[in-house]
Amino acid sequence: MPIFYHDDPEWSDIEPLPQDDGGLHPLAAIAYADEYSEAMGYLRAVMAKNEFSQRVLGLTEHIISMNPAHYTVWLYRSRTLSELKASLHDEIAWLNPTALKHLKNYQIWHHRQTIIDGINSPKGEHEFIATMLEQDSKNYHVWSYRQWLVKRFGLFDDKEEMRWTEDMIHADVRNNSAWNHRWFLVVGGRDGKTLPENVVKREMDYAKSAIRKAPQNQSPWNYLKGIVREAKLPVSTLKDFALEFADMRRPDDIYSSHALDLLADIYAEEENGKEEAKKALELLASKYDPIRAHYWNFRKGLLDQSGVAA
Amino acid sequence: MAPDVSVAGDDVKVNYAAHIRFWRRNLKTFLPRHYTGNDANRMLLGFFILSSLDILGDLPSALSPEERQGYIDWVYHCQLPEGGFRPAPVTNFGAARNDDNKIWDPAHLPGAFFALLNLVVLGDDLTRVKRRELLLWLTKIQRPDGSFGETLGENGQVEGGNDSRFGYMATAIRWILRGNLEGTVDGIPDIDVNQLVKCIRSAETYDGALSEAPLHEGHAGFTCTAIYALSLMDRLPVSKPDGRVRGLTNLPMTLSWLVSRQTLTIDEDDSMDTLGDETDSAATCHDAHSFVKLQEYPSLQGLNSFEGEPDSHAELQWVGVNGRLNKIGDTCYAYWVLAPLFILGHEQIIDKRPVRRWLLEKTQHMVGGFGKASGDHPDIYHSFLGLLVVTMFGEAGLQDVDVVLCITNKAKRHLESLPWRRKLLGQNEEQSHETGG
Repeated sequence: MPIFYHDDPEWSDIEPLPQDDGGLHPLAAIAYADEYSEAMGYLRAVMAKNEFSQRVLGLTEHIISMNPAHYTVWLYRSRTLSELKASLHDEIAWLNPTALKHLKNYQIWHHRQTIIDGINSPKGEHEFIATMLEQDSKNYHVWSYRQWLVKRFGLFDDKEEMRWTEDMIHADVRNNSAWNHRWFLVVGGRDGKTLPENVVKREMDYAKSAIRKAPQNQSPWNYLKGIVREAKLPVSTLKDFALEFADMRRPDDIYSSHALDLLADIYAEEENGKEEAKKALELLASKYDPIRAHYWNFRKGLLDQSGVAA
Repeated sequence: MAPDVSVAGDDVKVNYAAHIRFWRRNLKTFLPRHYTGNDANRMLLGFFILSSLDILGDLPSALSPEERQGYIDWVYHCQLPEGGFRPAPVTNFGAARNDDNKIWDPAHLPGAFFALLNLVVLGDDLTRVKRRELLLWLTKIQRPDGSFGETLGENGQVEGGNDSRFGYMATAIRWILRGNLEGTVDGIPDIDVNQLVKCIRSAETYDGALSEAPLHEGHAGFTCTAIYALSLMDRLPVSKPDGRVRGLTNLPMTLSWLVSRQTLTIDEDDSMDTLGDETDSAATCHDAHSFVKLQEYPSLQGLNSFEGEPDSHAELQWVGVNGRLNKIGDTCYAYWVLAPLFILGHEQIIDKRPVRRWLLEKTQHMVGGFGKASGDHPDIYHSFLGLLVVTMFGEAGLQDVDVVLCITNKAKRHLESLPWRRKLLGQNEEQSHETGG
């Protein structure tokens, strides 16, 4: 049922401010529904008066349901909530279904941060996030918000947080957002300090076991290489592991293009390894990853250049 | 596969007439109601429409002089008395606007960015732009950490995200209004360039991309706009260090991440690689070709799903582009991923032809425009970015573009020829005769 205000006695004191679209040639004019045009006219009128009231909360809800990306309506709503000292828990209860309706909206998450920051507790947020991720397990806004929560409430070392992340990776080993969240916890939580040896080993083992499940999944390969780099270990640390999936002596038995890519890097750093590195890149270009043939050939060219330089 | 063999689909063409009809309709008739969610972004929608028609070479005949002036006036109608632009008339209180309520009708960063671009594309000389006020405001929406916000709120609070999209738009405005000059110009202080570069570097990810904020997941949109911002400030990596703070600490890793976004997963049907089955097969791993040998099926589920499936059903004919690891191809990411390769001078490390075939055969729509993925209806956003990609690939019959500003080089030359800008940048009269016009 559309909502109108012109015959609502509660709004009889407000003269709506219609949109001034500036002449005969507006750009990107939209065929508004009457309901939307009217509500926006009332919003402009109350904003112009700086009215912060219960009915304004209702009006902003109404407009957000039609245009959740209207940036000032959110700021105005925030200010209204604070002027009215409204219940922030009620606000979250309203936000939950609203966020589910507008999965890709940006402003909702910013508003949620403000409210949860005010409530000063992450209670209930994990359940809400789970509901959101059921709709789209890689929703960027949701993961970003989760990371804000971890930071805001100091959950880097929270065992539940890590267990949940592992569950997400277990549910879909190709969910790169979940892998990145693990990185966020493990590396982000250390705030620039060196990773302890036992953590490096634990993380490498974890990524390796995921790769053994699905060797062509790039997410854990990037994670593994990232940990090795973060720990300042040489890339050759991973040689034996990469050979499990790509042994150049058996070029017909390659199980992962990412292993070949890594081996090319490892061989390139070895003395007399250049020929092997080239062989790996040629296999990628011709057979195992031909959609990126131009790139593998470019990498091969770099090997020759570095030879000239040395 | 030999690299230069012609493949079915190479002869597919841009359907010029349909694209022109699509964009003219968007320009001249009301946009459908479902654009209401973009009501506060009309400056952006208007720009995508005008710049598309310019790229298609149709803008001069699409606009009467009166219409052209009418659109210019509409953009200026969105300029605020104190300088800066609102991104649409939605918050305009008209005569009721005063010092107490103007905070709800604030200057808006994307609003100003797209307003300037619209004026340039329409051939305006920008003399009615409150340039000093806009540049000064730019320094106020930069936060101490170097990032830019979207608007100024109560008590000068910087509102909006702090990701590289806003850094890109801020540096583009700066470039449009004051070129490559660093430091105070004409009495107006500069933004803090070094701090923005540091902010961008702090959002580099472990796999070579850039993200929304430090330690968040790498994303093609943020990677692209970060590279653009660095480019507009002349802070991309150089082979010999020159003492300036520069971005992209590991260029080879960034290149690897960007090329890895090319994917053979271009339909929802074949995006099953994200649905809980850990097994590798040609059906789950379209980023690789038919190759990977299956060691064994680690689960019964995997065995049931894939036993008896052919090793290869993926074709190399079409290559899509995704925005993050293990995601489906999407027209807009062809722009966000491939455009930065052009800016980094490495466009030769991708094969443009299969991407072009994918765009023209799969996401180009018969009514004109492009959809997000195969078979999707066209929308303004995907249609503009799809068109930009085929244009930057050098498609015949389209006007060449500046990929960072998303305008034709013709429009960019118009901007560069403006007398006030030439004077500010100390470009003399003779040069103006050489390149002007």
